[in-house]
Amino acid sequence: MGLQNVNLHIRPGEFVSIVGQSGTGKTTLVKLLISEERPSSGQIVIGGWDISLVRSSEVPLLRRQIGVVFQDFKLLPKKTVYENVAFALEVAGVRSSRIRAIVPQALKIVGLTDKVDRYPRQISGGEQQRVVIARSLVHRPKIIVADEPTGNLDSINTWEIIDLLRRINGFGTTVVLVTHNREVVNSLQRRVITIDRGLVVSDVEEGKYVL
Amino acid sequence: MKLSFLMRVMKFGVQDFFRNFWLSAATVSVLTLTVISINALVLMNVLGKIAVTTVESKIDASVHFRQDVDESRVKTVRVALLGLPEVKEVEYVSPEESLQQFKIDNGEESELVKSLEEIEGNPFGATLIVRAHDTSGYSTIMQTLNQPLFASLIEEKDFSDYEAMVSRLNAITGKLEIFLLAVTCAFGVIALLIVMNAVRVSVYTHREEISIMRLVGASNWFIRGPFYVEALIWTLVSVGLTVLLLYPALIIIQPFLQRFFGSNSVDLVSFYTVNLLSLVGLQVIGVAFMTLVTTKLATARYLRV
Repeated sequence: MGLQNVNLHIRPGEFVSIVGQSGTGKTTLVKLLISEERPSSGQIVIGGWDISLVRSSEVPLLRRQIGVVFQDFKLLPKKTVYENVAFALEVAGVRSSRIRAIVPQALKIVGLTDKVDRYPRQISGGEQQRVVIARSLVHRPKIIVADEPTGNLDSINTWEIIDLLRRINGFGTTVVLVTHNREVVNSLQRRVITIDRGLVVSDVEEGKYVL
Repeated sequence: MKLSFLMRVMKFGVQDFFRNFWLSAATVSVLTLTVISINALVLMNVLGKIAVTTVESKIDASVHFRQDVDESRVKTVRVALLGLPEVKEVEYVSPEESLQQFKIDNGEESELVKSLEEIEGNPFGATLIVRAHDTSGYSTIMQTLNQPLFASLIEEKDFSDYEAMVSRLNAITGKLEIFLLAVTCAFGVIALLIVMNAVRVSVYTHREEISIMRLVGASNWFIRGPFYVEALIWTLVSVGLTVLLLYPALIIIQPFLQRFFGSNSVDLVSFYTVNLLSLVGLQVIGVAFMTLVTTKLATARYLRV
């Protein structure tokens, strides 16, 4: 689904929910943010960096500055919790000693210090999502983009994840939460941007889910 | 930072090699076949040259003089022949030696030898055995001997036509080389396709890992690097395997070759040992070039990063 005439400004440190029904262009927005897709016209500026014309060799650098959390986790099944988190640093060429220092910190934030040696299939969906969040944190990103992070979770796990995102936002990280979960959005009481058929139909500070 | 990057790329490459073991095995075996046929080409070349020199060294012309020509005149002819630039050496065989040789060749008790004894006296004249520097020299030597001055002394000239044999040998080795070149090319093309396919399958089996690598910000080189490392491992293993297979094979066929050529100068084992480093080095460079280029094509095509 395409997006048209989207004009948004998300300030540093904000917690923004982007809501809308399936197929309205929410995921397209996420893909544009991490340069998985390019805008056909217009500009996307992140922290003063115009990424609408970013070169493919610069895309990795962009992605290390934005932490992404997915509905389907995207964990490597043959790597342990620890290795999955370390992987994001390994591919970026971070020294092993740094990796050994950073990974336990990230796992501590998400509360998984006791499960570092488990494989993804040995832990619950909520725990897997926490591993993904830990992985997205290791580059100390300014922005976390969570695309339906609770889509595959039951309500208890959903609240755990939302709480975690809120805490991360409390550290000063901008959080962009893409969701169609009415309860979550209503309880957050933060800015809500509603997208419908590719258009921004409302943008309200302390908004509610209105569709 | 750089070193850890390189180490990780290598680690992932080695992991890929072992985790896709059967794919690696198939690729390595086709590459090995290609390398073996290249080696066969080189060895055929060496063998062909040895064969030609062996045959050429055996060529000589025998000049049999009439029985009534005395030794001093034969020696004059010898000196005259030695004066020709084409002539390498001229050996004098006396009538007694010829008789002796005849008896040895046919056996003391044979009918032929007995009938010779009945004639009494030595029916053989003196013989000169002429060897030229190379086969083209014999025509000049023959022309010289056909001059009336010499022709009257000579009973018979015996120059078996080795030249035809040499040219036939050259033709055979030439054809064999073309055949082997064609086989090598065919294996080479198959190897290229297989390497291409192997990289493709490897990319496919790693698609999940690759997409995650991309999402967490791996650079293009970090994603492509392991495929190059894997290609290098294929290269080294296939060349190594070829040496391991070829060396014992040469040791086994060596005695047969020596018997066939009737000469100990056919020594492929020592040829291989002496040239091992340059042979292996050139092959590693050649095959590595081939696999790396193929990998480059395959990753560019199937791994849009």
